[in-house]
Amino acid sequence: MYLILLSVFFPILSGLFLLIRYRMPLAKEKKNTDRKTLLTLTGCFLVITVLLCAAARSTAGNSFTLFYLTKTLPICFKIDEVGVLFSLLSSVVLPCAGFFSFEYMKHEEREGRYYGYYMIMFGVLNGLCFAGNLITFYLFFELLTLSSMPLVLHNGSREAIMAGLKYLFYSLCGAYGALYGIYFVCQNSDTLAFTAGGILKTSSVSQHGEFLLFTAFVMILGFGVKAGMFPMHAWLPTAHPVAPAPASAVLSAVIVKAGVLAICRIVYYVFGTGFLNDTWVQTVWIILTLVTVFMGSMLAYREPVLKKRLAYSTVSQISYILFGLAVMDADSLTGSLLHVLAHGFIKATLFLCAGAIIYKTGKTRVDELRGIGKEMPLTMWCYTFVSLGLIGIPPTGGFISKWYLSVGSLKSGLPIFSVLGPVILLISALLTAGYLLPLTINGFFPGADYDYTKLQKQEPCKLMTVPILFMTVLSLLIGLFPDAVTDYLANIVSAVL
Amino acid sequence: MVITVILIPIIAGILVPALPFRKRWLKEVFLETAVVVNSILVWYLLLHHSDSTFLLAHFTGNLNISFHVDGMSMVFAGLVSFLWPFATLYAFEYMTKENHENVFFLFYTLTYGVTLGIAFAANLLTMYFFYELLTLVTVPLVMHTLTREAVLASRKYFYYSLGGAAFAFIGLIMIIVYGSTTAFIPGGVLDVDKIGEQTNILLLVYVMAFMGFGVKAAVCPFNSWLPQAGVAPTPVTALLHAVAVVKSGAFAIIRLTYYSFGADFLRGTWAQTVVMGIVMFTTVYGCSRAVKETHIKRRLAYSTISNLSYILFGVTIMTPLGLVGALSHLVFHAFMKISSFFCAGAVMHQTRRHYVHELNGLGYKMPCVFGIFTVSSLALMGVPGLAGFISKWNLATAAAASGTPLAWGGIACLLVSALLTAIYMLGMVVRAFFPGKDFDYDTVADAEDPGWKMLLPLFVFTVFIVLFGLRSQPLVNFFYDVAGGIL
Repeated sequence: MYLILLSVFFPILSGLFLLIRYRMPLAKEKKNTDRKTLLTLTGCFLVITVLLCAAARSTAGNSFTLFYLTKTLPICFKIDEVGVLFSLLSSVVLPCAGFFSFEYMKHEEREGRYYGYYMIMFGVLNGLCFAGNLITFYLFFELLTLSSMPLVLHNGSREAIMAGLKYLFYSLCGAYGALYGIYFVCQNSDTLAFTAGGILKTSSVSQHGEFLLFTAFVMILGFGVKAGMFPMHAWLPTAHPVAPAPASAVLSAVIVKAGVLAICRIVYYVFGTGFLNDTWVQTVWIILTLVTVFMGSMLAYREPVLKKRLAYSTVSQISYILFGLAVMDADSLTGSLLHVLAHGFIKATLFLCAGAIIYKTGKTRVDELRGIGKEMPLTMWCYTFVSLGLIGIPPTGGFISKWYLSVGSLKSGLPIFSVLGPVILLISALLTAGYLLPLTINGFFPGADYDYTKLQKQEPCKLMTVPILFMTVLSLLIGLFPDAVTDYLANIVSAVL
Repeated sequence: MVITVILIPIIAGILVPALPFRKRWLKEVFLETAVVVNSILVWYLLLHHSDSTFLLAHFTGNLNISFHVDGMSMVFAGLVSFLWPFATLYAFEYMTKENHENVFFLFYTLTYGVTLGIAFAANLLTMYFFYELLTLVTVPLVMHTLTREAVLASRKYFYYSLGGAAFAFIGLIMIIVYGSTTAFIPGGVLDVDKIGEQTNILLLVYVMAFMGFGVKAAVCPFNSWLPQAGVAPTPVTALLHAVAVVKSGAFAIIRLTYYSFGADFLRGTWAQTVVMGIVMFTTVYGCSRAVKETHIKRRLAYSTISNLSYILFGVTIMTPLGLVGALSHLVFHAFMKISSFFCAGAVMHQTRRHYVHELNGLGYKMPCVFGIFTVSSLALMGVPGLAGFISKWNLATAAAASGTPLAWGGIACLLVSALLTAIYMLGMVVRAFFPGKDFDYDTVADAEDPGWKMLLPLFVFTVFIVLFGLRSQPLVNFFYDVAGGIL
């Protein structure tokens, strides 16, 4: 019990400490020493938090109620398999991106504020993963929006502030949609605790079935905002690229997954597949995800700015996951959850690579990056490997997850979509290759007219390359040894289906 | 006993200009003592109340002026008497930069007594009497600065309120004719035998009386006096136009609905549909206007309009659960809104800034004020763990349980308005804390947090906002007892 609380509240408190201690910009004269203490502190906090998370995860099945907001609203925590999966992702990506920022944020103002909100966000994410019921989840979902918003508007330009507000209001809009559903779920069930298979009362299902379907749909749409699902995806390509690169990595790899986790929770642990399978909600939801998959890839393909391109790619890839959740088949669910991990590591790496390029060369557009592979070989090799993973070329993680997704879809026997789904996934994979690989090709093969005399080695320092390398290796390992993960996922799948 | 607590503030108020205070702090001590003593007496009365009714004056028939203490009075009187000493303390510091202090404190303290009169009124006539009185004693407060704008605002306030009271008076007459008594009895006093075929007339009169009392509660389309009245000094806008006066309107509607006409008589009729529709519209309308408004206090006033309609939405659900929701929001909103108004007042007092776009970068210079402002904004939005979430939860679950499809739509209105609340409140917070990289901090170099007399009330309110958010169960249980007619 104390481990869960510590893993949630230690980072939040340490973040608050950093915010208060470093609320003013560091003074110029002793900037170096001050910065050193700040980084040491943050580094220690990150490491401690990761250790606490690991310790908390090891106590699986542990659950307890912290206190009651009102008679029927307990704030409670529970460690179950899905939570462990998502917390694993965040406790790899956050420290990696955190250490990367130590170098990347060197020239930015107000670093204290950045690391403060970063730590708070870490704690809130842990709370989200370990939340045991809908109301606790909603609490941390709101806090996640509020604590990640300052990261988006960090650089303080007008564009960034507008993007931050856009992010904030889109997310809140979604959260309130979800809250609408929560009121009715509370009315039609005895408990709000997440239970595999759903918590609705059978009498309510027969009485208010149609209306409950409507609320389920509103909740999926509402939480889908965070996951960038069409038609509420517009904030994502605006907000993710304006943040500092390590923050975009976290936003794109982990924060959007909060939306996925939310939808996973309400579909499989609140409403239950028995209630939603073969209803109009499922059909409309599948259509929305497929539209998003295709649209995201298409927009990424035509986008010239690298970070924006990656953000559009996130829009598309997250909907792969949602598609798998919507099909509600054992294999597709496995594929979805696997893609949560695979996409998380891959997208974080891609954004960190983009960050390293911006940090070293200042170039943001894809067409400026000719010959970049010669200048930053290690970074670009990592970029290439994870790109292959995202496209889905064996033996990478992306291939396995897409394989499961397609097999699940074909097996599900849904009319039209069982075939149409995999087709769109494949087309989108082709587009993925189309928008990711040109950078590799132009980077390593700049062409005959490239002026090699101007070439200079620009490989960034270890603080940047090691996190990138580490996550690349992880994403490859998932592809090489998928059984370890799928065996674990089998527990989840058998429980909820 | 009841009459004492009503009279103490009235007498103390009149003494302020009458007594020759040599020093300002003597006057402050005198006023603060009077108000605090009175509040202690009120709480003593609430905790040791008897069920007897105190008859002050008897007119013809069953018309009389009398007082009693029941559950509803306990809620409203408890709330008002808790907030008043803190608001007075705040006013001492705030008024140092305004003129005509004596007149201000005279009427400010008078209002305390009159509001308690509304809370303790035992029948419709008594409540009506104090309700009119409340209008009269608060007009000078709105007019305080004597600018043309203030005079116009107070005139508007005066006419609106009197007009509303006239409609409410029709309701009073109908209760006298068709009711068994005018006293407040849970479940209503209408006499079925006397009504006969007149149901529709009575429903029409209910709607008229609802709108009449609704003028003070700023129901659309009678809301425009409230933002205009924001020209008054901040202690007035904060305490009277966010709590005492406007909530008297809501309180009167609760009395009318649950204690005179009776919820059972009204539930499921067209009258319920009409008033609920109006109230739902007002929640969204108030918020949208707040988003558009750039003057800080007027923006908060529009927010009040919307939040008052949350309370009335709970009332119009016409179930005990709905009343619980209404009462929770009545109390919790008071704390959240007075807190945000006091923050706005602190900014105006310290920096003479009145508009939203002037708030840039103030967050770092006035960390206490803006920290508290952030908490109250989050509470108004309904972030879990703060007071606003609990009251919205109570309202929405009551609406969901009522089974009325219109009420289900009402929940959607609540949430739309919550989103708009986020837009207009967090818009200010973001400005204050994240002014952007080109911002010149020299422009706010002279700004700083105000003194303890302003900060202490703010801290106390914030503590209560958090406390209500985390541990509201005892209070909500008390509301259940009130709504169930036990108290």
